Amino acid sequence: MSTIETLKKDFEHYRAQADNSAFTQQRESAFVELQKLGIPTIKHEEWKYTNLKFINELHFQSSCLHTEAAKNYYTQNIVQTLKANRLVFINGSFEATLTQIEPEDAAIVITNLAAARIAHADMFSKHFGKYAIIEGQALNAMNHALMSDGAFIYVPEGKQTVYPIIITNISDASEVNVLNQPRNLIVVEKNAAATVIESFFALGNHASFCNIVNELYVGENASLEHYKLQRLQGEHYQNNYTQVFQEGNTHINQVTLTLDGKFVRNNLHFYMNGENCNTLLYGLYLLDGNQFVDNHTRVEHAKPNCFSDEKYKGILKDKSTAVFNGKIMVHLDAQKTNAYQRNQNILLSDEATVNTKPQLEIFADDVKCTHGATVGQLDEEPMFYMRSRGIPENVARKLLLNAFADDIAEKIKIPELVAILEEQIEKKI
Amino acid sequence: MLEIRNLKAEIEGKKILNGINLTVNSGEVHAIMGPNGAGKSTLSSVLAGRADYAVTEGEIMFEGKNLLEMSPEDRAREGVFLAFQYPVEIPGVSTTNFLKTAINETRKYKGLEPMEATDFLKYMREKMELMEMDKSLTSRSLNEGFSGGEKKRNEVFQMAMLEPKLAIMDETDSGLDIDALRLVSNGVNKLRNKDRSFVVITHYQRLLDYIVPDFVHVLYKGRIVKSGDASLAKELEVKGYDWIKAEVEAAQ
Repeated sequence: MSTIETLKKDFEHYRAQADNSAFTQQRESAFVELQKLGIPTIKHEEWKYTNLKFINELHFQSSCLHTEAAKNYYTQNIVQTLKANRLVFINGSFEATLTQIEPEDAAIVITNLAAARIAHADMFSKHFGKYAIIEGQALNAMNHALMSDGAFIYVPEGKQTVYPIIITNISDASEVNVLNQPRNLIVVEKNAAATVIESFFALGNHASFCNIVNELYVGENASLEHYKLQRLQGEHYQNNYTQVFQEGNTHINQVTLTLDGKFVRNNLHFYMNGENCNTLLYGLYLLDGNQFVDNHTRVEHAKPNCFSDEKYKGILKDKSTAVFNGKIMVHLDAQKTNAYQRNQNILLSDEATVNTKPQLEIFADDVKCTHGATVGQLDEEPMFYMRSRGIPENVARKLLLNAFADDIAEKIKIPELVAILEEQIEKKI
Repeated sequence: MLEIRNLKAEIEGKKILNGINLTVNSGEVHAIMGPNGAGKSTLSSVLAGRADYAVTEGEIMFEGKNLLEMSPEDRAREGVFLAFQYPVEIPGVSTTNFLKTAINETRKYKGLEPMEATDFLKYMREKMELMEMDKSLTSRSLNEGFSGGEKKRNEVFQMAMLEPKLAIMDETDSGLDIDALRLVSNGVNKLRNKDRSFVVITHYQRLLDYIVPDFVHVLYKGRIVKSGDASLAKELEVKGYDWIKAEVEAAQ
């Protein structure tokens, strides 16, 4: 059965048991949208370099079933030294036994989405489905119609997380090709502050496809540290959509680290709905083999006096491919916008490819915006300079690549995360 | 220490060095002067092992070993140091980290254990005092945002740290004002001793007021056409290079 037929069957199955609430109706219209759009092809401008044909070819099954190995894998791979609140999802289903909540963070709601829909119905209905765009977005529609469980984080007004919240999603493809569609909702209320890490693993010799949608709401004068850590060794595919909705005076520091991935497409969108926002978004991808990573970002300045700084860097080996598409949109109203964007890539092989496209769309007339992209090899001059001091070529290369990556590493405020990154750099370069 | 015999080199098929002969003994300071385009920088590049240059004839022996067969890093580890005319900026790599790596790689090459972190820092502090280096320079990224003078002083500081047997200084005076020139020269003079040799490449005589050479050679059209003592540099300062060019043309 093709993946699409499976999805149809799954939806019919879901529809037969669902109530007639607004929630169900929303999902129903999302499914209609998915059927109308179909899976995008490379003829679609937004998917020009990113081929989704694997979705149909690989006959994924949306099964929550998973092996004991996945739990063990998780226990072996979490950073034990980092004290944190933890939520774990395996193939989209909530693993309550692996939940950890620190007593100091008792004021924060840290739970799974399915539970929150009932226990925190007001907050849920106020924010759920309000930010992620369904119209014209086939994969978002697919997630909305057939979502599995996910995380629900609610930081009440004036509160802040004492320890980071780590949401781990594991794709377990030990038995069949699996599709999972986690759905997260993170709400940081007025004057609150939170640190959230999304961590992705995959295991098993079959293929997996994780199609995740994140909605984040950051209230007036609140701040958010948000990290994404993607480690997907093997035949694992991911489409990761994140929509951040910011009120005025918010501060966001977002870092996306793609350290592995057969196929990763990140869609990261910020909408600044108030003045004096500070939005920092950084990314680093380290690719080898035939890995493919696509970062699509969209930073929307809707109100005046906001600042955004974006920097994505990549190191590519072997036959790997990276795509970067960064869009900064400055609305007519958004005077005195300061927006910066850079994408820098180092190719360590003749067969690696980068397609980069920085874009500015500016409708206001009093703004400062810059963007730029570079694709190149390691410079000869610094290499020779180092060698002429007795440093061998491979060590010199490592020093230079570490220096290149450090630029992003220094944006990470959690030393344990930096250590993971450094370890991966050491291993891959 | 250094023996250059009939060295011929070219870049992209263009002949630059046309048979250089030069012997440098331990503790000697040799100045190589010459007009623009004479091949001065090519000589320093060939000595350091820059890949762009092809040696077509001749040999370079360093302490009895064939320098031309060594990689640039091995030359450095054997004790050859090139002070760059244009030191390279390396963002993200601190001078400290850079030098620690360089010293420990050299120690590894010689079969020695890496230096302990505390020993290294103590050693570096001593050298910084000796070279009158500002502390902040070592924690900053290597040469990044340094002024011309700071970059050249950092070269001499690196030389002090690596303690080479032979230091080649490629137009170290270019782009320096008189105060920076004095500081850099003082640093070099402190490093002069009976075991260490210098090849000082310069277009102008003024550097040689501070670093007084034992021998002065004039390079022209890829060959050493005149050699003498420090007084030859003074003569060039007064008379320029034209009389030497004329002598060479007349002899041909």
